[in-house]
Amino acid sequence: MTDATTGTATTAAPEGTRHVVATLAELPPGSRRIVEIDGRSIGVLNVDGRLHALMNRCPHHGAPLCEGVVKGTMQDSAPHEYSYGRHNEFVVCPWHGYEFRLDTGRPLVDMGRLRVRVYEVRAEGDDVVLYV
Amino acid sequence: MTTIDTTTTDPTTTSGAPRGASDRSDLKRNGVIDSDVHPNFVNGIRDLMPYMTETWRTRLGISGADWAKGMAAAQFTLPLDYLYINPAGAYREDAARPGMPPATDPEFVAKQLLDPHRIYRSVLLSGQCLGIGAMPDGMVAATIASAYNEWMCERWLQVDERFRGAIVVAPQDPEAAVAEIDRMADRDGVVAVFPLGQILMGEKHYWPIYEACARHELPIVTHPSGTENVFAKAPQMAGTPTFYLEWHTALGQIHQSNTLSMICHGVFEKFPNLTHVIAEGGFLWALEVMWKLDRDWKGLRNEVPWLTKPPSEYLLGNVRFTTQPFIEPHDPRHLAPLMEMLHADRVLMYSSDYPHWDFDNPDRALQGLSPELRRAIQVDTPRAVYGDRLD
Repeated sequence: MTDATTGTATTAAPEGTRHVVATLAELPPGSRRIVEIDGRSIGVLNVDGRLHALMNRCPHHGAPLCEGVVKGTMQDSAPHEYSYGRHNEFVVCPWHGYEFRLDTGRPLVDMGRLRVRVYEVRAEGDDVVLYV
Repeated sequence: MTTIDTTTTDPTTTSGAPRGASDRSDLKRNGVIDSDVHPNFVNGIRDLMPYMTETWRTRLGISGADWAKGMAAAQFTLPLDYLYINPAGAYREDAARPGMPPATDPEFVAKQLLDPHRIYRSVLLSGQCLGIGAMPDGMVAATIASAYNEWMCERWLQVDERFRGAIVVAPQDPEAAVAEIDRMADRDGVVAVFPLGQILMGEKHYWPIYEACARHELPIVTHPSGTENVFAKAPQMAGTPTFYLEWHTALGQIHQSNTLSMICHGVFEKFPNLTHVIAEGGFLWALEVMWKLDRDWKGLRNEVPWLTKPPSEYLLGNVRFTTQPFIEPHDPRHLAPLMEMLHADRVLMYSSDYPHWDFDNPDRALQGLSPELRRAIQVDTPRAVYGDRLD
């Protein structure tokens, strides 16, 4: 499983402008914050201690994606069988239920070339820092 | 009412009935395959008496009680829908001869349908047994199914090799249906299985039947049964239509429900080589079903995680539609783009629906299509569906 929290082994400075969006105490696991940067709405989510940042806009119809539920998904299975897995790897669009990977922004089902833009986000000291 | 004599000559050139070996091989390569013809009984269920034991004739009450024979309501009949009346009659007038109901004599059908239209094979779908899936007693239905299948083989398939047939099974009793499929699968002329019942066809109830069909490489076929909306359990989304016109136009709804059920339950994932032929159930509705299903599935795939590809791909891969009654768009220019959207070259199969009133002449009904598409519909796709069982 990909751990999207960066800053652990990265030495190179991330690209983009540095924005402190919250303190770590303000963004505990299970919480999220929607921020506006340069006219763009971006969701910053703390999922089980992993930080994720995605464009707060579903590529399908423009819904506020980052207000959706974070959860796992039903994995491939034989007809009439269910197998839940990949817990909390996805954010589910609040409008039509499309599932997007938190770490890459890729939809679980093929949507052509559509995907959600993801941003670099990391903990630096006590701060949650977003690079746009 | 005055009858108008319309003795038009067919403008299309057909080289007449096949003669000699070269004609026969040409017919085999290029002859039309017709996926929907209805053989009829002369005396209803009594035609099946020779194909039943005395025990079952007694059980059905068709061997004794002379007084009952003259009273329609006092004797057992096959489930048919006499609540809708086509004022012009449901059959071609010219298909009936004095004292003989339409499509009761295979030799006459051959002369009237097969010879003039250069039909290589016509697939028989029982007229009167299509509704046995609506019968309350599965043992009775299974007995009638077996008797009908024997009748069809003896009276039709062995009379003219151009007839092929779909065996009828009683889906009320899947075990009996599987036994019947195993019993009949290798009989000469059998090309499909007709399992229509009262339960939406994706449900597990049906899976043993599909397993048997897949094992024998037999497609299933469904067709309006005449029992729609007559029984409370019949699949219906609303109330009961009033008019024949209304009912006849709405028949696609049932096929739509069954198609959605089969796709969503993962039937074609479980049985990837199973083909479902939808006869006389329309086909343009498949466009909306495919597009809507794919869109909704993206948000609801957790409910059906066994689908490994967009649901429309199961429809295009495993569902086929017969053409009759073919569509007549208000603007003829709309036909070609509709056919393209539907992938008509993959999913449509010609059918005549002989001897019914809304018969489609193979030389005329598909005139608006390109020769390539006509060939796909009349020859290539049905060949792919029925395989070697046609020859």
